[in-house]
Amino acid sequence: MIWVSWRQSRSQAIACLGVLVALAVYAILLGTSMRTAFSHDGLGGCLARSHGTSCPAAVQAFTNKFGSAVNIAFWSVLLIAPGLLGVLIGAPLIARELEYGTWRLAWSQTVPRTRWLAVKLALVTGGLIVLGAAMTAVITWYRAPMDRLTGHFLHNIYDFEGLVLTAYILCAFGFAVLAGLLVRRSIPAMIVAFVPWLAIRLVVEFLLRPNFQAPLTFQQSCTPGQCSGGVGLGFLPPVTGHIGDWVLSQPGGQLANTYLYQPADRFWTFQFIEAGLFVALTVAALGAAIWLLHRRPA
Amino acid sequence: MTQGDGGGRPPALRTVGLGRRYGHVWGLRDCTLTVPDGAVVGLVGPNGAGKTTLLQMIIGLLQPTEGHLEVFGDTSPANSAEALARVGYVAQDHPLYHDFSVADMFHLGRAMNPSWDQAVATARMNALGIPLKRKVKTLSGGQQAQVSLAMALAKRAPLLALDEPVSSLDPIARLDFMREVMAAAADTGVTVVIASHVVSELERLCDWLIVLTGGRVQLAGPADDLLAAHRLLTVPRATREAELPGPAVHRADSDRHSTVLVRTGPARLAAQERPDWGVEPVGFEQLVLAYLQRPAGTSADDPAQAAARPEPTIKAVTR
Repeated sequence: MIWVSWRQSRSQAIACLGVLVALAVYAILLGTSMRTAFSHDGLGGCLARSHGTSCPAAVQAFTNKFGSAVNIAFWSVLLIAPGLLGVLIGAPLIARELEYGTWRLAWSQTVPRTRWLAVKLALVTGGLIVLGAAMTAVITWYRAPMDRLTGHFLHNIYDFEGLVLTAYILCAFGFAVLAGLLVRRSIPAMIVAFVPWLAIRLVVEFLLRPNFQAPLTFQQSCTPGQCSGGVGLGFLPPVTGHIGDWVLSQPGGQLANTYLYQPADRFWTFQFIEAGLFVALTVAALGAAIWLLHRRPA
Repeated sequence: MTQGDGGGRPPALRTVGLGRRYGHVWGLRDCTLTVPDGAVVGLVGPNGAGKTTLLQMIIGLLQPTEGHLEVFGDTSPANSAEALARVGYVAQDHPLYHDFSVADMFHLGRAMNPSWDQAVATARMNALGIPLKRKVKTLSGGQQAQVSLAMALAKRAPLLALDEPVSSLDPIARLDFMREVMAAAADTGVTVVIASHVVSELERLCDWLIVLTGGRVQLAGPADDLLAAHRLLTVPRATREAELPGPAVHRADSDRHSTVLVRTGPARLAAQERPDWGVEPVGFEQLVLAYLQRPAGTSADDPAQAAARPEPTIKAVTR
């Protein structure tokens, strides 16, 4: 069964390796020039001394030079990339057998169909975890200089470092396997799986994630109306003065100098919560697929 | 283990009251059969008659809703390794992975079947001149069917099940395929079940016959016995059912005479035969078609009752 699973997933595995290599080449080229610029500008020393407040020009120059390449290109494309990857691999796993009638061949050998599916899922899931971990490692490595300026909590960073990237891929894969069994055709199954994946992904990112834990408040010592600083990527360091803090709310009204924020040291807690959520959805979808295949008449 | 008649082996197939329901609809019901080891069984019926349902339950892909099923005495539930191991299956349109080579397909067979015999598979390909390195998608339909058959035989299961094996093949490929099936059956003694609606193909091959219509078994038994138990009578049109020497399976009336297929024995026929009757033996295809034309819902046990019902379509055609 291991050979069978490998033989049927071989071309997909090679394609994934191709994607990973392309990503690595891009990352090495950009990452190397970022490192050169980072040490040339003496940003490391400046950050260590003052969290970047003593060298605003150098910080500005560095973010101007690399910010768009790192952030915009990555976030807009890679927001959907894990979902596409997951559904492209997951949807054909069962749907292709139903589409071409080969299930009658596959499931009439001396391997019960639930074991057939379990072995395939174990191997492909393992492959996707390795792929997700490798992509995460590549992205984390090349972004390292930028992350020292911005921390890891901003959307375009958080989504590709730590655990969540792998969990996003697995979730899309799980949805697509189940959709393939229900819809019985690969391409429609990809769409059926991708839409809810993206919806959940956005809901978690924008509604749930800011409240995984109760935000802290920060009082800026200034008179209302004359306060500096603000929320978002443009403000380095953030108004809390500590790199990596995620400032959630714009001040206004009576509380003009009060900010809600998530401190930088909650990064891994948040990663575990969010990855756990997506892994739980994956397990539920794959469990449902095995159960439905077991109950399928023929 | 149930003992078969004569030898020590249990029957290839034994079902008692076997049925399978899909939602509210019965795909097959009240199926009671005993097929001996080594038989070549023709499973005949129109589309939707329950052929595939019966076949999939035998293969172990489908769990019966009711009744008892054993294959060589084994009663393992559907989709268990034990149930799947007992049958080699060539599905309709002989599905294969088109991006695999023939060698890859055999590798899959070896990986998924503990009883796999690689020599059987490769010897068949050599004999047919099909190179193992060829991709499945570059093979002709007939060659793909042969690869499927080789895989089913290399599994070395005691029962070989073929679902519409030749319906998608050209006449030459049909002959080649069926010749290989019969040679394998003769060489290995494997019991063969062929589901088909190509009745003429089955006539030369099968020594056992099962006719299904509307999810019911209409006729089942050794082909020779069934042929011997039926006669085609030409009788005056006025002849009533009660005057016939047995239940009428099928009756076609013309202006003055009626042609009636009657289920009867030699003794009874001799006792009731009249001088103005024409009596002929019945052919295989004629027999099968007569049973296929019976209305759905009748079962094997009451052909008299079935024949008593009017069959307007046939009367209208043969007036």
